[in-house]
Amino acid sequence: MTTVESRSSVAAVGERWARVDGRAKVRGELQYAADQPVRPCLDVAVHRSTRPHAKITAIDTSRALAAEGVVAVVTGADLYAEFGDRLMTGPAFSDQPCLAYGKVRYVGEPIAAVIAHGAKQAREAAELIEVSYDELEPVHDVDKAVLGAPFVHDELRPSIVFGDLKHLRGKRDTNVNYEYNLRKGDPSSVSGTTVSYDFWCPPTHHVPIELPFAAAWCEGERLELLATTQTPSYVRQSLADLLDLPLNRVRVRTAPLGGSFGAKMYDRLEPLVAALAWTQKMAVKITATREEAFLLTTRHGCAVAGSMTADENGMIVASTSDVRYDTGAYADVGPRITAKSGLVAPGPYKVDNVHVRSRCVYTNKPSAGPFRGFGVPQVTWAHESLADELARQLGEDPVEFRRRNMLREGDIAPVGTPMHSADFLGSLDAVTEAIEWGTPFVKQEGTLVRGRGVAVGMKAVLTPTISNAVVQLNQDGSASLLISTIDMGQGSDTIMAQIAAEVLCLGEGDVRVVQADTDVTPYDTITAGSRSTYHTGNAVRLAAENMRDKLVELAAERFGVVATDIKLTSDGLVSAQTQENVSVSELLHGHFGARGTTLTAEANFSTSWQPYDHENGLSPQVTEHWFAGAAAVQLTVDTATGRVHIEHLAVAGDVGRAINPAMVEQQLSGAAIMGIGHALFDQMVFDEGQIVNGTLLDYQLPSIKDMPDKLTPIIIESPHRTGPFGAKGVGETTIIPLAPAIANAVRDATGVRITQLPLTPERILTALEEQS
Amino acid sequence: MREIELKVNGLRRKLGVADDELLLDVLRREFGTTSVREGCGVGACGACTALVSGKSVSTCLSRAARFDGAEITTADGLPADDEVVDEFVANRAMQCGYCIPGFVMMAHELLGENPQPTDEEVVEHLEGNICRCGTYSEIHAAIKAAATRRAAKNERATA
Repeated sequence: MTTVESRSSVAAVGERWARVDGRAKVRGELQYAADQPVRPCLDVAVHRSTRPHAKITAIDTSRALAAEGVVAVVTGADLYAEFGDRLMTGPAFSDQPCLAYGKVRYVGEPIAAVIAHGAKQAREAAELIEVSYDELEPVHDVDKAVLGAPFVHDELRPSIVFGDLKHLRGKRDTNVNYEYNLRKGDPSSVSGTTVSYDFWCPPTHHVPIELPFAAAWCEGERLELLATTQTPSYVRQSLADLLDLPLNRVRVRTAPLGGSFGAKMYDRLEPLVAALAWTQKMAVKITATREEAFLLTTRHGCAVAGSMTADENGMIVASTSDVRYDTGAYADVGPRITAKSGLVAPGPYKVDNVHVRSRCVYTNKPSAGPFRGFGVPQVTWAHESLADELARQLGEDPVEFRRRNMLREGDIAPVGTPMHSADFLGSLDAVTEAIEWGTPFVKQEGTLVRGRGVAVGMKAVLTPTISNAVVQLNQDGSASLLISTIDMGQGSDTIMAQIAAEVLCLGEGDVRVVQADTDVTPYDTITAGSRSTYHTGNAVRLAAENMRDKLVELAAERFGVVATDIKLTSDGLVSAQTQENVSVSELLHGHFGARGTTLTAEANFSTSWQPYDHENGLSPQVTEHWFAGAAAVQLTVDTATGRVHIEHLAVAGDVGRAINPAMVEQQLSGAAIMGIGHALFDQMVFDEGQIVNGTLLDYQLPSIKDMPDKLTPIIIESPHRTGPFGAKGVGETTIIPLAPAIANAVRDATGVRITQLPLTPERILTALEEQS
Repeated sequence: MREIELKVNGLRRKLGVADDELLLDVLRREFGTTSVREGCGVGACGACTALVSGKSVSTCLSRAARFDGAEITTADGLPADDEVVDEFVANRAMQCGYCIPGFVMMAHELLGENPQPTDEEVVEHLEGNICRCGTYSEIHAAIKAAATRRAAKNERATA
């Protein structure tokens, strides 16, 4: 079939189309999951563990069962009796029960569920459940956990989702559930100037403002579920496995998400409501409170012992990183984070001698999982602090030092994969130019000291993944797009429409994206890791091209000419030879002989990789594409109070091609603002396994008052050869270098290198005192 | 239970509420207002903001029974030509959109009290609302634009 070069007077890709449903969002009329009309549901509340690590010896549910409004009380043991080991879910390891049985592994772990008429009744009754424990010794920190007992799990249970973990099945007496090693050259063989530090990032929380919600009920012999999830295809498979049902008897519906950032993916509330609905044959719903949301998932706390060595020419010759991710009581996707972030631990630099040891470690804390950046911000915190310090110790400008050592197009990254469309240099130059790096500035005003800092970030997109798209072209010329990518604020509904519109010469508002529903929309691995623009975007582009080919064929038939003679434009289809033309609407009406008909085209886009060598961690193609970004900052530190004030923050990300520049800028800015929180104040605090700041009164988030005086988002476009119109994703790019950029500026201002996040006033004052 | 009367977005209704029922839950259940939303439950994020006689209230902290006779406005009840809404839309002041109606109501309160706020006054007023997507610059710009537009409209009205 021919492909016809089409371009019309209207363009879609590259345009600042308005966000789909913008007005409904502003007025609050858009319906999120908890606003959706579903059948009347009973409310679920859970009773939670008060112990970090203990055997459950007895559960007394009698008082809860007798409480007003209570319909049923279900324990983990009840569900285990029904489902056996199928109760254990999780993307990497089947290690997490939706209700604990036998043993609890963190304070706050759900043990029993109350189903009642009304959330208040359910919550009150859940308090009446009494659990007896036989306490076990807990392990709270990664450094203790890697040494040996106590063990959080008796043995490792790799899931069937990630086949490459199966060799770990049954491994005992360890808290390290995964280890990735990258070995290239020999770092101990080189000499020069070396800097080394121990770095720490605490666990943090995503805090999407929409609370997690899930409702489930049986529809005959089927299970239906509506949930706040960014992974409907994954959840369908996970629930089908749990309930032992064929995929066509599980339906997962979604709604627009009120933010997620990784919090609402894989198994969260969904296994619990599904198990309750299925075993009790009741329609049930659960809305997490904010305090409960903090217990559902976190970002990995992470320790990195790192070093970097440069030779006499200022070339980086060696890099080492010992990375320990604290994954809490359940692995979730921690093993993937451990490998996919470990492989960029050396940073975006040409280094011949590299050793990375990256481990995923169980502790008795809430489970850590994916969070914007997928573990890469934690290792970037280390490599960008090291690169900065090394430059300073060499007496060199940190920007020039980075420029000289940076990976460029065609270079081989330390992990063994060639670089393409990863414009570190352009990103670095853009941000430093924006803050006028190199021009003099007033260094001190009273107690205020001023500094500038820069950092670069590098990340691999999730590979391999699979996306599908279906385009339905309606007889009137409008289109519906069926995909399972979730719009959680990043704007995917708008840009996917733009990609389809570009191919089909449609205008703004002509393409509607159908809400993900596994009965309707095709498989999509996940909406995460900034993968959708590239992966789903390519599936959409291919499906739209298939549609264009179908239209061309219909027009060729109609005009009696060959297909190569036909061109699709915004006015319809035209024959170059006969100058005959026909609108899409007329063409489809002519073809079907009726109004309101639909023409359907579909496409798949899958990516592949070459798994890294288990010995040395190298792979010639570890990823489909790279993200490159940079941040530069000018700030003041008040030496009397320890407070940091950001005067100018510039962030840049290479997006290949901006499908919608306005949304790209919002993603660049939004990730940077989230990164300000991680740099300066945002952290989960635990005391003996108990979270002590799990409310929004105590957990600080960036407000409008924390905005820099000036924030400059900069789009870098280094087209990717296989991206849709050259595009790649962007959502994580600028959170990655943010914290080290700020810390490097604090170092510039004060002379103090701080190696623990966040840079609270207390921590800065303590560091200043120790320095003097 | 007690009977109270509320006027929500111009609609007056008598209804029974439990003594400890939150205004947030009553607005959502009885009036179908989708724009007030629980985000934190402790008055710290602003997603549940409504205006009571023009003053912002965290409805997740407020017992409905105390609002007998009150006139309440929520974002989904604003008129179709509301200039604050228009400017939020025009300035792209929404990403996931969940928190935005709370900001819209805070903007209404601010402009009601202070028709031409300075940048600092805008920041001070919005400090208690959290937008996790980080749409603060756009929200700020939208409020300034709405202030300008409202001033021009008032000028025309008095001319």
